[in-house]
Amino acid sequence: MKAKSTLGIVFFPAFDWAIHPLHPEREERLLYTLDQLNEEGVFDIDGIYQYKPDIASLNDIMRTHFCFPDVSKVTTESHLISAGGTIKAATLVMDNIVNKSFALVRPPGHHAMKVVHGARGFCNINIEAVMVEYIREHYPVKKIAIVDTDCHHGDGTQDIYWHDRDVLYISMHQDGRTLYPGTGAIHELGGPNALGTTINIPLPPNTSDEGFLIAMERVVLPILKDFKPDLIINSAGQDNHYSDPITNMNFSALGYAKLTEMLNADIAVLEGGYSIQGALPYVNLGITLAMAGLDYSYVHEPDYSQKDLTQDKEITKYIKRVCDQVMKRYEECKKPSFKLMPGNYDVRKKEIYYDTDNIREMQLESIMVCEECRGVLKIETTSTVNPLCLGIEIPLDACDRCQKEGYRLLDTALSGDRYKYVQLIDRKNKKYVLY
Amino acid sequence: MIIMYLGLDVGGTHTDAVIIDKSGVVAHTKVVTTPHNLLECISQAFKNILTGIDPSHIKRVNLSTTLTTNAIIENKCEEVGVLVSGGPGINPALYSMGNHYYVIDGQIDHRGTEITLLNLNQLEKATKKCRKKGIKAFAVVSKFSTRNPVHEQYIQQKLDDADFISVGHTLSGNLNFPRRIATAYYNAAVWRLYNKFSYAIEEVLRELGVIAPVNILKADGGTIPLHVSRTIPVESILSGPAASVIGTMALCNITEDAVMLDIGGTSCDIAMFADGAPLIEKDGIRLNTHNTLVRSLKTKSIGIGGDSAIKIDGNTVTAGPQRLGMSMAEGGQNPTIIDALNVIGTINLKDTGRSREGMYALEKKSGISSHNIAQQAITYALDIIYNEVMAMIDEVNSRPVYTIHEFLKGKVLKPKTIYLIGGPAKTLAHHITQRFGWNVKVPQYAEVANAIGAAVARTTVDIELFADTQRCRLLVPNLNVNIRIPQEYDVDNAIEDATNYMMQYLESIGVDEREREIEILQVYSFNMVEGFETTGKNIRVHCQVKPGILHQCRDILKI
Repeated sequence: MKAKSTLGIVFFPAFDWAIHPLHPEREERLLYTLDQLNEEGVFDIDGIYQYKPDIASLNDIMRTHFCFPDVSKVTTESHLISAGGTIKAATLVMDNIVNKSFALVRPPGHHAMKVVHGARGFCNINIEAVMVEYIREHYPVKKIAIVDTDCHHGDGTQDIYWHDRDVLYISMHQDGRTLYPGTGAIHELGGPNALGTTINIPLPPNTSDEGFLIAMERVVLPILKDFKPDLIINSAGQDNHYSDPITNMNFSALGYAKLTEMLNADIAVLEGGYSIQGALPYVNLGITLAMAGLDYSYVHEPDYSQKDLTQDKEITKYIKRVCDQVMKRYEECKKPSFKLMPGNYDVRKKEIYYDTDNIREMQLESIMVCEECRGVLKIETTSTVNPLCLGIEIPLDACDRCQKEGYRLLDTALSGDRYKYVQLIDRKNKKYVLY
Repeated sequence: MIIMYLGLDVGGTHTDAVIIDKSGVVAHTKVVTTPHNLLECISQAFKNILTGIDPSHIKRVNLSTTLTTNAIIENKCEEVGVLVSGGPGINPALYSMGNHYYVIDGQIDHRGTEITLLNLNQLEKATKKCRKKGIKAFAVVSKFSTRNPVHEQYIQQKLDDADFISVGHTLSGNLNFPRRIATAYYNAAVWRLYNKFSYAIEEVLRELGVIAPVNILKADGGTIPLHVSRTIPVESILSGPAASVIGTMALCNITEDAVMLDIGGTSCDIAMFADGAPLIEKDGIRLNTHNTLVRSLKTKSIGIGGDSAIKIDGNTVTAGPQRLGMSMAEGGQNPTIIDALNVIGTINLKDTGRSREGMYALEKKSGISSHNIAQQAITYALDIIYNEVMAMIDEVNSRPVYTIHEFLKGKVLKPKTIYLIGGPAKTLAHHITQRFGWNVKVPQYAEVANAIGAAVARTTVDIELFADTQRCRLLVPNLNVNIRIPQEYDVDNAIEDATNYMMQYLESIGVDEREREIEILQVYSFNMVEGFETTGKNIRVHCQVKPGILHQCRDILKI
């Protein structure tokens, strides 16, 4: 047996780390997946290789996040290794060591937002974003698409790339009105400089293989074709599975494998998925085989044949309607619309709850409306664990005005004592400093 | 009482034998290997080495043979009926081996739960077909049989008229279905041949008056008693490189990170030591394009040796991997690395004039001076060895780890010593030292280190204990242990049980008490949680008797 696409698997199950012993994010989570992959002899397949993760550096985190009070207070070694696992997965592909890679690592990351005060949705650090920023700093890659197939809306990834027109974020998830974190509605389409590069496909409970594949065909693939990314990343959460204990969907291992084949991502990163015995071993096997271009048609769960996973006709109809609406909104984004004059700040006020660490955060986020670049970003934030702090980001493609404005903001902030901590992310000059 | 140990290693070209006692090596012999009838060269070597020695002094005979390896590579195996129950996953038809491979429906999952019963109709049909073809040797393998062997056991019962059945879970406790299939298949395929051979060897020794127990060397550098090996003949494959590694350990007291280079005529075998212990391959050795679960030392063979032929392509001088016969100095027709060493004056072996002649012929063809050709060929060979050693160290250090503790605190291999053995070892020591900048040691008897290794190797076993307290099950697959345990069973019980099972086994196969040194390699205990309730523990204990040198031999070799 020989893989049609060579595949690097960065496998790091963190067998000695848990949020707490009974938490879904515990030592046991990838145990049965490892057993299944080992028993199937996956790592012996010609063209499939296993790798050790790297460990993310302070710079890797500070390039991506505003961490308050600092990186060490909001992360543990497990988070740095998990993020380092995605970096390893990225370098394997970018250095042409393998065609594709799969970071089978934990803990996950897609609920971690631009600002980090602690853990939310089991996530501290957004491991895909750390990877994307690493790639953009070290390789000449401009346009990246992240397709999030976790059952929960990836509100963290959406938040980080809300203003970034070079990163397309598409999430298909269980409708936020029925599941944590509640966001991910159709009308969430990105900030003023990046409208239409955030796409949400909220799917109803009990969506089956059929529904997911409809969403792929009708929304994900056409928008990807339009965006023409240099690189496609799959946030491969596995909690859409019919056996997942904390969600309500009917997706199967075979369905995940088909989706993986259709998406043809360069890099996949494990996100959620907590049916650790009934789903993960089979879904991970399906994704692995599909990425390597191998036959996955024999992969299915032990109870697969007994389950009726046929999708209700009404649900199919509803999903088709959702897809039409998403596409309509997406097309509208291309038309000129009302926005502020360039050189003005567009301001959002956000309240964020960190369910895992029970922290409340208040944010005032200001983005410079700009036609030349992504726009300088300023976030004032305070939480139940931190006094008022400030984050300033000068984007990678910053125009002169936005760059100057960034340093003006920094000077003003440092000359007063309004903020306890100030962090600068100067992507253009690769300066990441906490004051 | 005089105690002597006899070791014999069948190599591709030569068969070496040694006898050692407390004074060291008392006799050694080298005979030409007779690949089509190994019994011939083995008998000859025994006869030679026992000349003038009282055979009753021999207390242990250890053999490393290429019998099973050759049979598999040359496909001189018996027809085997392979009965496999796969269940969902990767299509089991893709792992077909031999001419009589049958997939039977049935599924066991990763916890060992029987999801689907065996399809008895299919089983009946498959066994009928095999019987019709007169097949008498079988391999029986099911997916996850090391978690629950019920399917393998059932199929085994249905084959009561077979001569031999190789049952997957009894060969290794590891997870890896395709490797289990290949291992069980090879085991059945060489069973008859091997058994014939093993009885013949006993006969030969009896005739020579040797009454000592006979052991067979394995690829992991350990031995098993001959009578035990009769049901697991596959364990005897590819033991050659391991013999050299153990030999090196016997000749040098290795306690640090180190590299072994065994340089022969055709090839160079590389092995590694971490704090003096030889490194072991993670899953098992690969033979004839198939990966197996046969435990093995981590070794790598590259096509560079003393007889590697020198080639010139344009301005580039290379050597190997072909061997076109001996060096010119020793009567060959093509200049080799040995000739190059003669030309630059490192050595002065046999007919140095012919070495110079050969190199001069290359000079005329290429326009490069003889001296430069010789120098470049040696540099080329050293570069290849250097790069392979570095790649291997890199590979070992980037092995996947699964815990944060191992990731941050795990052992990093940093060898700075090379132990050099094999025929041309001494001649190359100077160059190897220069190329690596490391400490290079060439032990005495380097040229028969392999046979010495065979003589002094201790018996090794490795087991994987698996306990699931929710299902109240404990398994040690390769010792055929499958018992009920109480729900309160914990990791300490598991470690104790693993040690006890291992002890009992070692005793049952006649291993001396002093040699029952058990090492716990890895212990995992996972809380199994369903919903927000702990339902039990999933415990894994991996332990071994690690490859090394018999205590008695340590005493006599004073190491």
